[in-house]
Amino acid sequence: MSALTWTLVLVSQLALVAGQIYLKRAMSRREHNVPGWQGQMALGIATMTIWFLLWLGAMARVDLSQLMPMEGISPLLIVIGAMLFLRERLDWRGWSGVALTCVGVVLVSLSGHGN
Amino acid sequence: MHDSAPTLLTPKPARGFFWNPYFQILLTVLLTAAAQILLKIGADSSRGDTSVGAWLGFNELRDWWTWAGIIAFCSSLGSWLYALRFLPLGLAFSLTNGVHIFVPVGSWLFLHEHLGPLRIAGITVIILGILLLAQSVAQAEEKV
Repeated sequence: MSALTWTLVLVSQLALVAGQIYLKRAMSRREHNVPGWQGQMALGIATMTIWFLLWLGAMARVDLSQLMPMEGISPLLIVIGAMLFLRERLDWRGWSGVALTCVGVVLVSLSGHGN
Repeated sequence: MHDSAPTLLTPKPARGFFWNPYFQILLTVLLTAAAQILLKIGADSSRGDTSVGAWLGFNELRDWWTWAGIIAFCSSLGSWLYALRFLPLGLAFSLTNGVHIFVPVGSWLFLHEHLGPLRIAGITVIILGILLLAQSVAQAEEKV
């Protein structure tokens, strides 16, 4: 992957994390009748659109199996983002589960073609 | 970006299997896996195209497979937003790792990609991770 593709993937992953945090805040606010959820939803959809287009551009450049390890880190980024911005907490089982799934995603992606 | 609204299962979902937020997560996973495979077929249509439009993902929009993928993605967003009403983001998103089980299996079935021992090992580790997450969920719900 070229430096440009790396940057594209990194920015798209950051957009994904921000977009999901905005969407979660919008749905939490809506559920608890807190005003202003529409703005959060709009921000979430806008950020997710940026993620989607950048991801599609990356997909056109590299094989899905090569992109998978990049996607493998996104649950970890989301859990960290949710801790920082939504004050969510995971117990040791949750953290172990996140770690195992990330390892699994990397294993799947390492298998590449012909393995 | 701090939010004071509590995030752990405070609201109650509607009764019935379909409205169970965990079933909606499974639906999200299946629709996302389908979308990834459809988008890959669509994105392949612009392989070799070095224009800016292809870089930013616009040229792929000419292919109808891309649009089928977009429809699958939009549908998955519906079930995802529903699940987000009831589940913490970190946990819900981690459970969507199930997509990495269905994408290789779907790619093997529909794109004729190879499913070797390393990939099967990876899928097994992901399943173990999801089982641990499920245990974490069960304990969190017991406390509520």
